[in-house]
Amino acid sequence: MIVNKKTKLILTIASVLVFLLLIGLAESFLDPFLRRILNVAGIYVILAVSLNLINGFTGQFSLGHAGFMAIGAYTAALLYMSPALKAMNFFIQPLIWPLSEIQIPFFFALIVGGAVAAVAGFAVGAPCLRVGGDYLAIVTFGFAEIIRVILNNLQGITNGPLGLKGLPTYTNLWWTWGWALFTIYFIKKLVDSSYGRALKSIREDEVAAEAMGINLFKHKTLAFVVGAFFAGIGGGLLGSLLMTIDPNSFNINLTFQIVMIILLGGLGSITGSIVMGVTFAFLMEFLRFVESPMNVFGMVIPGIAGMRMLIFAVILVITVIFFRRGLFGQKEFSWDWFSRTGRRNPE
Amino acid sequence: MSLLKLEKVTKRFGGLTAVSDFNLDLEKGELVGLIGPNGAGKTTIFNLITNTYMVSEGKISLDGKDVTGMKTDRITAVGIARTFQNIRLFSELSAFDNVRTACHLRLKSSVLSAVFGLPGYRKEETEIEHRTKVLLNTLGLEKYEKDLAGSLPYGLQRKLEIARALATDPKVLLLDEPAAGMNPEETLALGALILRIRKEFNLTVLLIEHDMSLVMSICERIVVLDHGVTIARGLPKEIQNNPEVITAYLGTGDLYA
Repeated sequence: MIVNKKTKLILTIASVLVFLLLIGLAESFLDPFLRRILNVAGIYVILAVSLNLINGFTGQFSLGHAGFMAIGAYTAALLYMSPALKAMNFFIQPLIWPLSEIQIPFFFALIVGGAVAAVAGFAVGAPCLRVGGDYLAIVTFGFAEIIRVILNNLQGITNGPLGLKGLPTYTNLWWTWGWALFTIYFIKKLVDSSYGRALKSIREDEVAAEAMGINLFKHKTLAFVVGAFFAGIGGGLLGSLLMTIDPNSFNINLTFQIVMIILLGGLGSITGSIVMGVTFAFLMEFLRFVESPMNVFGMVIPGIAGMRMLIFAVILVITVIFFRRGLFGQKEFSWDWFSRTGRRNPE
Repeated sequence: MSLLKLEKVTKRFGGLTAVSDFNLDLEKGELVGLIGPNGAGKTTIFNLITNTYMVSEGKISLDGKDVTGMKTDRITAVGIARTFQNIRLFSELSAFDNVRTACHLRLKSSVLSAVFGLPGYRKEETEIEHRTKVLLNTLGLEKYEKDLAGSLPYGLQRKLEIARALATDPKVLLLDEPAAGMNPEETLALGALILRIRKEFNLTVLLIEHDMSLVMSICERIVVLDHGVTIARGLPKEIQNNPEVITAYLGTGDLYA
């Protein structure tokens, strides 16, 4: 039995409401440590789903996500910081004029951050009409590095390598998961629409897509602009959560974490990105112990920084061997899952 | 006036001239066959018409409008659709979605109205679904609409390619070896099908095909290429008895030539 459309809509709305209730409870009762992990999880979900739009659904393998995040984080931070805080941060070289006086609410700062990242997304997406595959990965990686270098050197705007410190903490579970839900909604509706089918057709066969009248330039840049917008939002949220940002925190490692999430979850599966985004956030915390000194059967192992990433690498290798296309492949969650399991196990 | 007109079209790849001085006049509603031995430049001509390859010299026009050098997706939009010799379906998408995707170029709604499901978009989406159903029915593919295109048998994949090309709402349909890999009965049915869709969708068809029984039975005119040069053109009967065509296909028979 397939669950009918109306029931599905009711189930979806109900589960979103329950989810919001849980967020509310978590925000008021959970301890700060778990709250923080959940916040990071929400941000990972935003980043993974938006990168999946570019890499998974459109098939344009981008390594530029950290660059878009950096743009969003810096733009937003420079807009929501108070003039006094900015003056304190920029003690080597003062912040250039209008920025030093402006302060706008967090929400609008995030939106502007996302919009500026989207413009950068257009700038990267446009030339990628000429390159594909490995070359595109290199071009986008180069773009992210350029952003990092620019941020390091524009002392008068970004405070250079000193970064921005003491950012006000606006980010809470409402912000992160609110945006995460909106990201999921937006991108899910996009990939299910006629535009989404055009994006997937580009992934499947670019020559055939173009021959069927799909404008490659328009649709590739569409994927980059939307993906970059949400990456910018994610960056803005992350900045306010960590309370400090500097150019080098937006390096290739950050992009690789997101790429790993979408590979593990499945290229082209939003469900996979969500599940793995949350799992990844928790594993990152709970695997911290492997980096501290350990005593294994009388043998003392000194703490090695970076051991966690080694474990993730092993997980990635195992996943690739047993689930060649990630845990979810291209499948998405649907309420039919329950009815189908119900049919298989009638008791 | 002719619908699709190619004038002195030439394509060079470095020192190799793949197509030279090719002329073609397709009248509205015609079904013309393009034949020739392997490597004669038939598919190259399709690639030139759709600007997958850029023409080196010459002019291509549709309905009196110059379309030479127009971008491939624009050419499809003005009304030239094609199928591929080495099937190029979107294999991870369902048969239904393959056809729906080809309707996308006529979509007027914006991205945001699609994402937020505004009434204008929903109406267009319903029309697209309806159109897709009709096309799948016409090609006899309605049973397979949920199957992944890549999992369909070869013959059905060829039909799905035709359905997908028709979804772009073309005036001219370019068919590249639609009968390749089909058995004689299937080929016979395909011939009838091509005649039927031409009538139903007011098409003008240019057909590349190696199966001579099909070409001779349905084409009104035939153009023969060899090494990029047009060696003959005329009615099927004339082509069948043309000594040059026979030589091109079978050789001269003179061992010491």
